[in-house]
Amino acid sequence: MNNTIYEKPIIKKLQTGFMNKFGTGVFKRIRKDIDGVAIDRLVEQFGSPLFVFSEKKLRGNYRKLYNAFSNRYPNVLFGWSYKTNYLDAICSTLHQEGAIAEVVSEYEYRKAKRLGIDGKNIIYNGPFKTIESLKEAAEDGAMINIDHFEEIQDLENVAKELNKKIKAGIRVNMDTGIVPQWSRFGFNIESGQAFDAVKRISYGGHLILNGLHCHIGTFILEPNAYSQEVKKMVEFAYKVEDEFGYKIEYLDIGGGFPSKNRLKGVYLPPEVVVPSIDEFAEAVCDTLLENLRPNDFPKLILETGRAIVDEAGYLITTVHAIKRLPDGTRSYIIDAGVNILFTSFWYKFNIEMDREVSGTAEPSVIYGPLCMNIDVIDESVNLPPLERGTRLIISPVGAYNVTQWMQFIMYRPSVCIISEKGEPLLIREKEDLEDITKLEILPEEYELKK
Amino acid sequence: MKNYKKFAESIISSYAGIFFVDRYFVGFLLLILSFINPNIGISGLLCVISSYIFAKFLGMHEQFLSSGFYTYNPLLVGLSIGYLFKFNLLTLFLVSISGIITFLLTFSLVSVLYQYLKLPVLSLPFVVVSCIVYLASSQYSNLFINGFYPQTPIFEWVNKLPLWFVGLTRALGAIVFLPNVISGFIILLAIFFVSRILFFLAVTGYFAGTLTIAAFTGSFVQAFSNVNSFNFILIAMALGGVFLIPNVKSYSISIIAVVSSSIFLYAIEKIWYQYGVPVFTLPFNIASMMFLYVLGLLNFPLITKFYRGTPEKTLDHYLTYNSRFPGTYRTLSLPFSGEWTVWQGINGKWTHKGAWMYAIDFVITDENGKTYSGDEKIIDNYYCFRKPILSPARGRVVKIINDIEDNPVGTVNKDNNWGNLILIYDERGFYVLICHLLKGSIRVKEGDWVERGRILALCGNSGYSPQPHIHIHVQLTNNIGAPTVPFSFIQYIDSNNRYHSNDIPKENQRLAPLFTDKVMDFKMSFLLDEQMEFELEKGGTKVKDVKLSVKMDSSGEFYLESGNGRLYFTKWEGTFYVNRIEGKVEPELKAIFLALPRLPLTYRQGMEWDDCIPTHLVLNGVRKDITLLKNYLYLSNCAVRGTYKFTSDSEIAGYIEPCNIKTHTVLHETKGFSKIEVAFKETKITLRRCENG
Repeated sequence: MNNTIYEKPIIKKLQTGFMNKFGTGVFKRIRKDIDGVAIDRLVEQFGSPLFVFSEKKLRGNYRKLYNAFSNRYPNVLFGWSYKTNYLDAICSTLHQEGAIAEVVSEYEYRKAKRLGIDGKNIIYNGPFKTIESLKEAAEDGAMINIDHFEEIQDLENVAKELNKKIKAGIRVNMDTGIVPQWSRFGFNIESGQAFDAVKRISYGGHLILNGLHCHIGTFILEPNAYSQEVKKMVEFAYKVEDEFGYKIEYLDIGGGFPSKNRLKGVYLPPEVVVPSIDEFAEAVCDTLLENLRPNDFPKLILETGRAIVDEAGYLITTVHAIKRLPDGTRSYIIDAGVNILFTSFWYKFNIEMDREVSGTAEPSVIYGPLCMNIDVIDESVNLPPLERGTRLIISPVGAYNVTQWMQFIMYRPSVCIISEKGEPLLIREKEDLEDITKLEILPEEYELKK
Repeated sequence: MKNYKKFAESIISSYAGIFFVDRYFVGFLLLILSFINPNIGISGLLCVISSYIFAKFLGMHEQFLSSGFYTYNPLLVGLSIGYLFKFNLLTLFLVSISGIITFLLTFSLVSVLYQYLKLPVLSLPFVVVSCIVYLASSQYSNLFINGFYPQTPIFEWVNKLPLWFVGLTRALGAIVFLPNVISGFIILLAIFFVSRILFFLAVTGYFAGTLTIAAFTGSFVQAFSNVNSFNFILIAMALGGVFLIPNVKSYSISIIAVVSSSIFLYAIEKIWYQYGVPVFTLPFNIASMMFLYVLGLLNFPLITKFYRGTPEKTLDHYLTYNSRFPGTYRTLSLPFSGEWTVWQGINGKWTHKGAWMYAIDFVITDENGKTYSGDEKIIDNYYCFRKPILSPARGRVVKIINDIEDNPVGTVNKDNNWGNLILIYDERGFYVLICHLLKGSIRVKEGDWVERGRILALCGNSGYSPQPHIHIHVQLTNNIGAPTVPFSFIQYIDSNNRYHSNDIPKENQRLAPLFTDKVMDFKMSFLLDEQMEFELEKGGTKVKDVKLSVKMDSSGEFYLESGNGRLYFTKWEGTFYVNRIEGKVEPELKAIFLALPRLPLTYRQGMEWDDCIPTHLVLNGVRKDITLLKNYLYLSNCAVRGTYKFTSDSEIAGYIEPCNIKTHTVLHETKGFSKIEVAFKETKITLRRCENG
């Protein structure tokens, strides 16, 4: 006989009668499988917690985004933003779909090349590019976007050393009517700094300016900001072309498109708040077609990361303990925390259960496994009383988590992908002690004597 | 000096022109042969020269004269006069006048026949002038007629040869007024050497005609000894190999023409002989013109447009040209962005019929071929709904309709078939109609000038449209509903990553437009007198320095000149094409042709394209003949196909399949190319740019 565990009685406020336009507030979200593969089977095979990616969703999202732009402007190229998720399997899938690589460090550059990406198909961005990597990228013919004056100097030195002229773009920033304005990257257009940079490049004579890059921010909910960005970039491009004789071959407008994720502190659901990707595409492409000169169709490069991969990622976790807090709130401790869910700082995730659970739903807190006060996944989520061992599926978690996760207190878990054929495949092993300690060196004098 | 050479060449060309070939040695051979009978030889030569000088005197351009086209009729007249009259000062006068008359008649007939009937002049002027001279001469008792005496010695051994052989060779010789076995045999050999197709046609034509005569007259002896049967030879050659593209169908037509001409032959003989005039080539002219006129009216597809000197070369050119340039001259760019699918093609199964058959409908489909996601009844779920429509042409907007409601999915508006529409007048002389646009979405006004790729409107569902799509066609007048005419699209890529430079999309094909990349365009923009210096290596060792310079000829075509060769090229509608090599086929020019027969002026990763290489560039001798033979039985096939692929934005790898030739091209950073490598089976040719060049 299975006795229920004793729980101290509490008084709960009964809510009846008041309908509100968002429904009754009891959301029973059940997810028994991901792309047809049962949650139980996944955990059995790879353990918990477990990151699961859906190939179908990933490719579907990519195509939807790509088509939204390519059906509105005839020369579109996507650069896969490595920092969003640089697992080999994810990058490869997107490269198969036709995206090139967008990297922001020597490490990412090497990782892309290791995957088999030709240097010519790598966009090299970022404020910190080592001389060595600049040289390598220049030799490979990568698309380098210069961030600051020192980098112009660095790249000119490389050009002198290689004895060839190097094609490069510059990153610009501008006021697009939104805050915060990302002015720390690249050269400012309004202040004339960007024009000075072009002058400097032209004067140096070792570089050929052939592109403009910009990135106005992240999780931007205002399509008009992109119209402003594109308009200013096209204007600047023609000014440069007319005055210096360069041909701007590409306009890289960066990314920053939001996913259907709910930001903390936003009351309305993302379906209402987040504009559809078509609205963004329309803003960008219409502005381009209306401002470009006849028969000029420079390459439009997009570095969208989050909007492609976020919704393709899930995290399966398991309830480890149940606790009633002193104020009567029910709380759960699960096996995944902020150590592997970096985005929990700003997202209110969608949390689903793997089984039907009866009982009244009540606001509950979900804690991670760390012995740290900050380790909270959700401060208030309506859940019926869950048993130990219930699996909670957290989504969307495809963006940034598997790159920004920390090895802190716990090991990092396995990552798998469910192929289009419905087959779960492991794409990253979970860590073990050896993985972490193999880099450590214990000098002899510190060794413990037996 | 150069002028004399040109002059000599023109004269010699007119001799070769009689047998429809452009080889000087054939002309030279005939010139020498004609001097077997010096009477004929001198008279023929004089007649050509007199007409040539007269034409120059009137200011006719060198180019028209050098082909021999205007001068082979005077030549024939000269030969015929030489055949009839003994040569003396008086005949010299007669010959010169006749030459001038023939030229005048040729020139007038060419213009009349071509303008009104689209017919070649053939040897009609010769027939007319010769008849006139023969008729007139019966009154000129001051001329010594020697045509009634045997003009060449008769050998005993000729009687031992088979009758058909004597008949065939005499008939061939008779074409140039040398009706004897030896001349005929030499001509037969020369024809065989120059063109197997012409040889085959001459022989089959001769026998088809004489056998018909034999059947009617009941006498083989009479049939084979009728010297006028050279008409059969000419008809067979003209129709089977010259004015029609050599092919089984053309051969059949030529044989039918030969057989039917036998009746003309005897009818004409009957009348003409009463006046003491031979039939000359009149049966040939009547039969050939009649057939060509009817075929022309019927738009027969195998009518030769460019005759390249021999039937073989013409066939090679025709096959190559057809598979290289499947498109039309009414070129549009695709009226949208990104990948769309042809829903209904030209001559489609629903509405593209009859006068409106030249039209194409486009939708957007996903990887499962569906045109919508989710609920099919909701119009917003259709992928192409509200997608921008871009201008397919450069021209003026002449009409718009912008206020017809969009239909709910599954219904159509039968009152306004075309729905919301834009009609653009392309300055090349045609109208482009795009319709079924979204109500109120049109962003241009009547009278606006639009450039290709400019945003015009959004895709909608107005008019006879059960689901969102767009319809595009080309018409020649500005009224809505006018009959449609053929057109094609330039610069697009299909779902197999294959580039189409100018082509007609097929139903269910998925395709996306490309637009010219400014940097690539500049790379292939060669200015006049620009020079590029290269080193030519063969098998790794340097053979010579090569200097390519850009020139323009008098017809406005551009070419790269190297040594004695000219490589003609064009840059047209976003593609760089190498057209042909003229003059000497220098190895560097051949290498460029093989490695870069065309180049899309826009880069897409891994994009492929193919092209048809003229057979004579890669094959020779018997192998070339066999390949051509194989191909002219199946006209649509391209004999030598090369496949090319971008391996990076500046490198192109090529493979020419039947000959196992591999090519590798590296484009230069700013202009042209910096390296071309062509690996043949035995050797490898490398063309390497000198950096200062």
